[in-house]
Amino acid sequence: MFPRLIMESFVRQRRRKLLAALAILLGTTAVTAMLAIGTSVGDKMNRELAAYGANIVVYPAADTLDVQVGGINIRPATAGSYLQEATLVKIKNIFWRNNVTDISPELPLTVTVKTTNMTQQAPATGYWFHHTMRSGDTSAAESWTMGAPALHPWWKLQGSWPSDTGNATSNEIAIGTTLARQLNLHLDDTLEVQNQSVRVAGIVSTGDPTDRTLLVPLALAQAWMGRPGAVRRVYVSALTKPEDVLARKNPDKLSPKMRDRWYCSPYANSIAYQIEETLPHTRAEQIRRIAQGESTILSRISGLMLLVALAALLAAGLAVAASMTTAIVERRQEIGLMRALGATRATIAGLFFTEITLLALGGGLLGYLLGSLLAARIGEQVFGSSIAFNPMLLPATLLLAVVVSLAGSAPSIWQAMHTEPATVLRADA
Amino acid sequence: MRPGLSLPMLLRRSLLHRRSRTLAELLSLTVSAAVATALLTLYASLDLKLHHQFRAFGANIVITSQNPGQALPLDALAIASQAAGPDSRVVPFAYAIAQMQNGSSIVVAGTDLTGVRAMNSWWQVSHWPQPKEGVPLQVLTGARAEKALGAKRFSLTYNGKTVPLQTVGTVRSGDAEDSRIYLPLEAFVSWTGVTPTTLEVQAAGNTQQIQAVLTRLRQALPSSDVQAVHQLIEAEANIVSRTRSLMLSSLVLISLTVAICVLATLTASVLERRRDFAVMKALGATQHHVRLLFLLEAIVLAMAGLLGGYVLGCGIAYLIGEWNFHTAIFPLWRIVPQVALLNLMVAVLAAAIPLRILSHLEPATLLRGE
Repeated sequence: MFPRLIMESFVRQRRRKLLAALAILLGTTAVTAMLAIGTSVGDKMNRELAAYGANIVVYPAADTLDVQVGGINIRPATAGSYLQEATLVKIKNIFWRNNVTDISPELPLTVTVKTTNMTQQAPATGYWFHHTMRSGDTSAAESWTMGAPALHPWWKLQGSWPSDTGNATSNEIAIGTTLARQLNLHLDDTLEVQNQSVRVAGIVSTGDPTDRTLLVPLALAQAWMGRPGAVRRVYVSALTKPEDVLARKNPDKLSPKMRDRWYCSPYANSIAYQIEETLPHTRAEQIRRIAQGESTILSRISGLMLLVALAALLAAGLAVAASMTTAIVERRQEIGLMRALGATRATIAGLFFTEITLLALGGGLLGYLLGSLLAARIGEQVFGSSIAFNPMLLPATLLLAVVVSLAGSAPSIWQAMHTEPATVLRADA
Repeated sequence: MRPGLSLPMLLRRSLLHRRSRTLAELLSLTVSAAVATALLTLYASLDLKLHHQFRAFGANIVITSQNPGQALPLDALAIASQAAGPDSRVVPFAYAIAQMQNGSSIVVAGTDLTGVRAMNSWWQVSHWPQPKEGVPLQVLTGARAEKALGAKRFSLTYNGKTVPLQTVGTVRSGDAEDSRIYLPLEAFVSWTGVTPTTLEVQAAGNTQQIQAVLTRLRQALPSSDVQAVHQLIEAEANIVSRTRSLMLSSLVLISLTVAICVLATLTASVLERRRDFAVMKALGATQHHVRLLFLLEAIVLAMAGLLGGYVLGCGIAYLIGEWNFHTAIFPLWRIVPQVALLNLMVAVLAAAIPLRILSHLEPATLLRGE
């Protein structure tokens, strides 16, 4: 009897059911889309924040002090110690290796530059430009292309980056725009650096002191310095989690359980710690200006979107509840008739609640699918990368749809049941 | 229509008679107005709030002499502060390379420590030195420099002049600052005789406003090199614009959803009143009169919803501002017309659609059939 009653109700009142279902569908669509965006915006924004460049720096633990003024390090090239270029691939072996998006070693030195009409000293830095890094020699080894251009997206290049063969045979360099103007050099000009003839492959504008330097392939810089494989410092760009109270703790003073949590969270600090572990005799530190700024921006934007998602949840909930109220008010006569025919209150409540639950589940499921599609579309539009379906949202969405629909209809059902059937049936409201 | 039965009275009776239904409709319209108000207010204040957050990255304009290392004119700080405007912060830096007792070099910087503290919020400082005269000079020492110095009290030599210094605080930044020693500018100048070589400017506002500050600074200091920090400005513009489009999508999505939900509710509610409609027509009301009554009802409800919804929406926006940005987002009057328009559109459409359907039907058919 009960299933038939429900079925009949759905078949006979198609229009009313459709309207209620439409409200639930729209509500869950908006809520799913907003929650999907709210929960994934942190990840998307993190990738945008990579535009700020490195957030971790690695240098030899035994290094002497930097003597750096105005972006130019005037520490004698002979002083201090070096990292080994060959060991850098280990950074891609740490626990959070997939969060490490770029590695850029640097080797600053001072070189003698000779053009057709002048000879002078100029600062130069050895970089990777498009260096291919392999995790091993086997064919199954992973490989990544890394280097300074990817780490400094604000560098404006005219021409092309020097070819990065990984050995000192390259004879191409790039040159900062201020230095190029000073030396009166243009693209494709040749000059002599350290008595070696090189070609200007690119002219770089950075807006900082790098504009006054030569940018050369790392292998070439090492050869000029007579220190094969040496690297002065390494800049690392990693996707990190905003810093919280735990992040600032010293891992060596934490309990083993908390330490595991610290170690397994992608904080800038824990990634730096893992780099120190894998590269002995080094110091790895978060570049606080970038890391802290990113942390602020990331938590504000994800916080904002989550709060907006919550507001959407509330609004959609109220809108759906209001539709359900109207839907039940319309059916007061039906309730009156049932009561007059002898149905108990429990039966009526059961009937209505089952109906509404079915509607909510149907509308909620469809709304989840539509909402996920919509979120993917918005992700595509705003970030150029889709937002993946989040199966965790399905149970949450369905539960919300059922709870809100029931909560919205309960007061009217209760009211209708407690009115005298005769009054309800007579009134033609 | 009987002479005593005026339209306002009809309207009042009609709204009060079906109280629960009126309340449900009012709730719907309040929600739609509140959502639109909250999101529009947020969207309108977003630029300001977000750009303010980006100040966490510190200075976005750097002024140096055109010849690297050369001192800026002595009045450069005053001129730059004037040109940059009251919202911006200008902090001078002077650098000198001093000798430690073991003969190795260390960079000493003189600056306005109060200004640095406000501008470089990422500096992790154990204790800020108070600007205080006396010997030894109290300084802020970088984490790596402190290790290299080995002691809290030490002396440094610059240009043959040796001064005793005392570390009262340590700064850690993960950058060049870690290898330096910072002391108040006046003490630095009287020791080394070196005047500021760099001014760091933290310009407030959005990209256009920063560009304007940049232009003003270039005009005010034509002989200096005024550079924007591209790294910060480009990423900032990109992230703000993405957040804006994300908020705009959310705004359209949520407002539309709620509006359609409300429209569905109201339409159903008006359709249910086909009997009222039929009775009115049977009693001799013209099509025009009936339509007017229904529309007026919708407008009254929409306006009441607007009133409550605006207050509610401003409250939501305020709370989101407090929780997320730690500054209040205040109500904006200029969004009222947009919210009102949305609410009126929803309410009038919800009344007009069913009326169109009903107007083709004969009162007799309506009254007889369910």
